[in-house]
Amino acid sequence: MAKNLQLNATIRENTGSKAAAKERKQGRIPAVVYGHKKEPEAISLDEHNLVVGIHHGHRLMDIKIGKKIQKVLIKDLQYDHLGRNIIHADLVRVDITETVKVTVPIELKGTAKGTQEGGVITEHTDHLEIECQAANIPESIVVTVTDMDVGDTMHAKDVELPPGATLSSSPDILLVTCSLVAAAKAAEEIEEEVPAAPEVITEAKEAEEEAPEEKAKE
Amino acid sequence: MVMMPKRVKYRKSQRGKMKGNAARSNFVAFGEYGLQALEQSWITARQIEAGRVAATHFLHREGKVYLRLFPHKPVSSKPLETRMGKGKGEPEFWVARVRPGQVMFEIGGVEEDVAKQALVRVAHKMPIRCRFIKRRHSL
Repeated sequence: MAKNLQLNATIRENTGSKAAAKERKQGRIPAVVYGHKKEPEAISLDEHNLVVGIHHGHRLMDIKIGKKIQKVLIKDLQYDHLGRNIIHADLVRVDITETVKVTVPIELKGTAKGTQEGGVITEHTDHLEIECQAANIPESIVVTVTDMDVGDTMHAKDVELPPGATLSSSPDILLVTCSLVAAAKAAEEIEEEVPAAPEVITEAKEAEEEAPEEKAKE
Repeated sequence: MVMMPKRVKYRKSQRGKMKGNAARSNFVAFGEYGLQALEQSWITARQIEAGRVAATHFLHREGKVYLRLFPHKPVSSKPLETRMGKGKGEPEFWVARVRPGQVMFEIGGVEEDVAKQALVRVAHKMPIRCRFIKRRHSL
């Protein structure tokens, strides 16, 4: 798969939510290009091309604005409330040789030993921040969990990173645990726990305030 | 166990409005798969509990079920055969306010088809249209 994608962009003359909504109706995604101490540019990209590019794992792309081509990295994507459609993209200018800080998803591989004993693999963090060359951004970091037993944990420092990449996140971040599901409580215990009605904070305060006054009268 | 708050500032609340879409809790954050609301509604504590029970029973203690909604809002009602007036009724049940996009239930630690079957059972307990979603790992 070719790692470079070229997209044609047009400068957005009008900015703001109404203008952006208009762009989206025409099948274009509003975006912003910034970085390298240059002025930020409001642009729009063809929705289909961008979505296909992202689905194919492209993070680095060439943006053609007029006759000028800029190399950019997708910094952030905004989705609609259902998480279906991209509504905005943040693109940061980069050099191929430049070292960049990116978040890369974690991919769990294999079936843990502990799952056969009733354990459940829980993924506490699904991405790591790494520093690497812009040209060598990995699509994902593969974490093998086959050796994990019940009670085992895996931290960011235990992960083998791709060559040339260094960990930027805290090394003590918890990634994966293999633990037993808490046993269901007995029905009697549950009945005891259930209160009839919640405690009302304001009523408790009023009662406290009234009590000292009564004492003073006495 | 039907959920309700432990402490509240006021016993009764006004009905309120639910405009717009979910601006938070609108992506899978804890498990691998989720059930997303496509409509707005009040979800009662009983419905939440019914959904939780449906999922846990189906999973046979495999995997983990996460609840992403909590019934914070008290709903009051007047007793039957009561004349109007004489003040607001007593709190009867508790509801969670759900807007389109909110992820209500999540499941982790099981295969996709198992999670889907479990969440379909949960969806049947909900008073609104829902859809099955997966966690978005990358951008």
